[in-house]
Amino acid sequence: MSNVFSRRDFLRKSGYGLGAAALAGFVPGLSSSLGGLSAARAADIVIDPANPLAPRGTHFPGKVKSIIWLHMNGAPSTLDLFDYKPELIRLAGTGVPESFTKGIKTSTQGGVSQLFASNTRTWKQYGESGAWFSDLVPHLAEHADKITFIKSSVTVGATHDISILKLNTGGVTPGRPSLGAWITYALGSANPDLPAYVVLYNGDREPSGGSVNWSSGFLPAVFQGTAFLPGESPILFLDTPPQRSALQHRASLDLLNKLNTFNTKSRPADTELLARQQSYELAYRMQSAAPEAVDLNKETETTKKLYGLGDDITDSYGATLLRARRLIERGVRFVQIVSGFPENAGAEGNRRSWDAHEDIDGNHGLMAKMVDKPIAGLLADLKSRGLLDSTLVVWTSEFGRTSWGESGTGRDHNPWGYTQWVAGAGFKPGFTYGQTDDIGLQVADKEKAVDTYDLHATILQAIGLDHLKVTFLNNGRSERPTVVYGKVIHELLA
Amino acid sequence: MVAKKIIYSLAVLSLSCSAVSIVAAADGDNKAGIDVTAAAKKELGPTWAYQPIARPEIPAVKQKQWVRTPIDAFILAKQETSGLKPSKDANKAVFIRRATLDAWGLLPTPEEVSAFVNDKSPNAYEKLVDRLLASPHFGERQARRWLDLARYADTTGFQNDSVRANNWRYRDYVIQAFNDNKPYNIFVEEQIAGDELWPNKQDARIATGFLAGYPDNHNSRDLIQRKYEIEVDMANTVGEAFLGTTVGCAQCHNHKSDKISAPEYFQLLSFFANTSFDPNIPLAKGAESKWDIAFREQREKYNKATEEVRAKQKAILDEFREDGVKYYKERYLTDSRESVFKPESEWNALDRWVNFRYKTYASNEGNTVVSYLRMIAEQEDHPQYNPNSVAKWKEYQDLAVELRKFNNLQPNRGSVTITSATELGHPDAPPTFIRFSGIHERPLDEVQPGIPALLGGDKLEDIKPSAVSSGRRTALAHWIVGPNNPLTARVYVNRVWGQYFDKPFVVTPDNFGRSGGRPSHPELLDYLAAEFKQGWDVKSLHRKILLSSVYRQASDERPDVVKVDPANELLAVYPRKRLEAEQIRDSLLYASGQFVDEVGGPGVYPPLIEFLARGRGGSQADVVAQVTDRRRVDTRWPVSKDKADWNRRSIYTFVRRSLPYPLVQNFDPNNPSLAYHKRDVTTTPLQALALFNSDVAVDWSQALAGRLINEAGVNPDAVLNRLYQVLFSRNPTKAEVATLKEFLTTEEKSIAQQLKENNQLAVATPVGLKGAAANQSQASLAAWVDLVHTVANSNEFVYRF
Repeated sequence: MSNVFSRRDFLRKSGYGLGAAALAGFVPGLSSSLGGLSAARAADIVIDPANPLAPRGTHFPGKVKSIIWLHMNGAPSTLDLFDYKPELIRLAGTGVPESFTKGIKTSTQGGVSQLFASNTRTWKQYGESGAWFSDLVPHLAEHADKITFIKSSVTVGATHDISILKLNTGGVTPGRPSLGAWITYALGSANPDLPAYVVLYNGDREPSGGSVNWSSGFLPAVFQGTAFLPGESPILFLDTPPQRSALQHRASLDLLNKLNTFNTKSRPADTELLARQQSYELAYRMQSAAPEAVDLNKETETTKKLYGLGDDITDSYGATLLRARRLIERGVRFVQIVSGFPENAGAEGNRRSWDAHEDIDGNHGLMAKMVDKPIAGLLADLKSRGLLDSTLVVWTSEFGRTSWGESGTGRDHNPWGYTQWVAGAGFKPGFTYGQTDDIGLQVADKEKAVDTYDLHATILQAIGLDHLKVTFLNNGRSERPTVVYGKVIHELLA
Repeated sequence: MVAKKIIYSLAVLSLSCSAVSIVAAADGDNKAGIDVTAAAKKELGPTWAYQPIARPEIPAVKQKQWVRTPIDAFILAKQETSGLKPSKDANKAVFIRRATLDAWGLLPTPEEVSAFVNDKSPNAYEKLVDRLLASPHFGERQARRWLDLARYADTTGFQNDSVRANNWRYRDYVIQAFNDNKPYNIFVEEQIAGDELWPNKQDARIATGFLAGYPDNHNSRDLIQRKYEIEVDMANTVGEAFLGTTVGCAQCHNHKSDKISAPEYFQLLSFFANTSFDPNIPLAKGAESKWDIAFREQREKYNKATEEVRAKQKAILDEFREDGVKYYKERYLTDSRESVFKPESEWNALDRWVNFRYKTYASNEGNTVVSYLRMIAEQEDHPQYNPNSVAKWKEYQDLAVELRKFNNLQPNRGSVTITSATELGHPDAPPTFIRFSGIHERPLDEVQPGIPALLGGDKLEDIKPSAVSSGRRTALAHWIVGPNNPLTARVYVNRVWGQYFDKPFVVTPDNFGRSGGRPSHPELLDYLAAEFKQGWDVKSLHRKILLSSVYRQASDERPDVVKVDPANELLAVYPRKRLEAEQIRDSLLYASGQFVDEVGGPGVYPPLIEFLARGRGGSQADVVAQVTDRRRVDTRWPVSKDKADWNRRSIYTFVRRSLPYPLVQNFDPNNPSLAYHKRDVTTTPLQALALFNSDVAVDWSQALAGRLINEAGVNPDAVLNRLYQVLFSRNPTKAEVATLKEFLTTEEKSIAQQLKENNQLAVATPVGLKGAAANQSQASLAAWVDLVHTVANSNEFVYRF
């Protein structure tokens, strides 16, 4: 099997240049220090504990090398962005015909009364594919032919955090590894000077729910997402402390190296100790590589403008996406971005997410504006740099929104039928899969429903990974990213 | 029934919760050596773990002089058949560092080291081990690993991540249990059924915090789903923690590798069907700790100061309460909604559970009515919009601003309550159904409590309901520690062995089933399990291991062992190991001299950068604040004002599920969202960054440097000796001294030059220097800090050998 390397291969690839004694692989306790992970815990993936992020191959050739995972936090109404429903507009203000609510359990007693459609929304078709876009996303619409729509998305849950967990980890309670962690586990890192899996968020704080959404769950912690901080120094503890000059820092590292050599000399076979010795040099390199990776001063004015930098509404989200592009350019495998809210939007910034139970025009007017130009800019930028051939952009949310709104001006939570989209490597561009019913409430053809597990399985497939074979033995179960579900939607793949 | 059977098997085909044989995978990695595992596999069937414990004969060995305890005979017998000899004893200094780190999670002091090294009495080791086992630090260290299994946290997880204000009492219960050497069987029974078995014993009720630690979402609108998820969590956690048996697979389908069927899984689930948790039980009279008193007094101050404002707020809310609560209740999913609207006289057992849950978490959330008021005041298009409410809402918000002025009076840690399992005063439990493919909305046949046949089946004693409880958990607890169940002792003994030797006998401590590992030393495992079952004496088990020859061996690499036993399964060499996350932080803190040695109490908040601290704290006050002022910057990490709290052991750091404490997070700690059985060891640059660059680590080095100079004087040799004694329990070698002194000289020059160029430069110097020592040059002092910090970052500190 192509992805199973021997320890010998790993050590060679790790570039640590160990002697023959090290290759004998004897370290008291080492072989089991990951619970026997080096061979025993994983069925298909072999991890060397001394270099757990060594690059690993795929199961079969895949097109996707990096993923930018755009989580639209709070759940946008795709009925107001991509899923054009003339029948909903026609019926707006009337009750919901019973035929549409068959088979679903709604969370509000009096809420399912009147269908809603905004008076101000306009719709147009774009590109050769003729995909529909509303007036809320004019910039994105220009990229219609790059996008693969999944208009038959479904999930479970009526509560944001449960469905967000499911979207990211496949579990409805915390504790499972996120998709990014699974991918990092399967593939390792393409650039040892940067974390392989980075989380970015837009706004002045970590998204609520926090790290469980980029957790390594039962996988070793080394595969968890590293949440980047805003500002010049993106990683906690990255900077040399202010009281220590660069000279002192280097001199201390040199001393450390000598001390560790005293220690490892009598233990020539101990690759773990050697790896720890080396990790300080890796960290030293990361100290310059990470700030460089997020330094937007290196970008041209044209590029910055493309992402909407300099405009109050789009500035912070645009900067986040531009960071993401710089990261994947440098070999980061998975960048997970929580949409957040515009930092500079004044009183409007009271809207913290897409969760528009009321005043959808006001909320989405702002939130769509926040993401529209930056995401369009990202797609254009990736394309012009040739990165769209190896990068997959995933536009996703915990669920969609209903065809009605209890408040009369907004929409409630809809796990039964909504739109997500992907753009880039491995997927059919300018293609739409599935549809919702005439009022945009439920998936029209249940056979075509795409659950989060199916989305995960299909993305893994595009990477070159069989979701059934990305396994890890935990608590006696051979766990995989798709829990016990998931099917690859081959129609989506190019 | 026939039709349903078909459904099960379809489920099995379509799902892939399949198990992989660890043994098969491990074989491939082991070709160079003898295949111990394969040999064991031949002797032991796949269901070995469910067979009765046979007390094996202590084997005869040739090198009798090496055998100090029966453990050694078992280990040596295996080595001898492979032609291996054990390693020589580690020197005494190495031994005490190892044993102190293993038993306490802390370093020995240089005085403890020299006392032990110089103790020539024949029972020096016994005295040392007894001293270690008698210290409260023993309980703290053992509790940390037990809390891993109990998925212990101080918050609920999920988005709101609400604070569980009295969960620390369960943590303290565990520490105390280990320190008191509570018999393990009682320890188990209390945690599963303390409320049923000893309803009048507060500690036994607090012990059910083991079950109560499930991640939870108080906001959930689907209480039936919550009930199911909580039961699943409890059943799986009990199965893994006590029985080393993965039952969870059978949730979705018949367990492929172990013969637990889906119906049997739900039988197990039904032991918990009537279990609720009450987090608001008043603390027993006379049981108040100093923290409880401080909390109560502070809360009284706050309540008194804010009495008027809160009364006015309440008066406003009362006007809208009925409508607000009704509106809120209506937002539950269909089946939960039926229960919360049902009059109490019509409640069945399930309604009782749902309504208790609603009453405990949902209805008392102040934000229910506040949110409602806000909605009907602000949303002009809402059908329930009420223009009369606008002024009231304004008034309420003004009062909220007023109330916030008193925030500094709020106690931020502690409680005057306990949490306990309860069956709400009723013996009848709601029915438990098998679920199709584990989906809670697809119930099939009803099942009754029962033990899976694989584990002993019909050997369950009768379930005896009391007037107030179903008695189900009592029956389960009795069975778990009962004579018919061989797993409990084997599983615990295996875990303890793994703590001392890195690798447990069964490398999958969570899974003794067909798909798990086979024991490397089945006879020794059974010998220890049989011994352990006589009286369930935890400290005695630890003592046996600590005093064995196998534990006393040197960890030096040996080419002959490399050749014959590359995985070191025969333990002819002691396995060196990287310290666990908490051991690293605690030992550095301890070495720095700033360690605050206090056992127990509410979680503490050591420093954290402000950016990460932002966010909702999940307390009642925070929720209301969020509703009234969405732009408010709250804190989910109120850094302890008392700096003594910064220097407590890591086990006392507040465990917020959504915000793991960053400094330790990089060193492979447990994940508090799930029962965690084994600490991994990975090596990453992020670890290096944390230990080398974090301000906290630099602070410790400054304090350690100050301490060393104060204790050893200004003679560099003396300081270096002291440094190595504190961190490594030895003196530096000549080569090390030469290297360190050379560094000191060049570093001092380099810093002096920098200071000359910029006299504003702030360098890190030793903290707490006394007397003449402080008169040395800035450059010289700063060089010492750099040296100390570097030595503390070296491999030798982070490993125990």
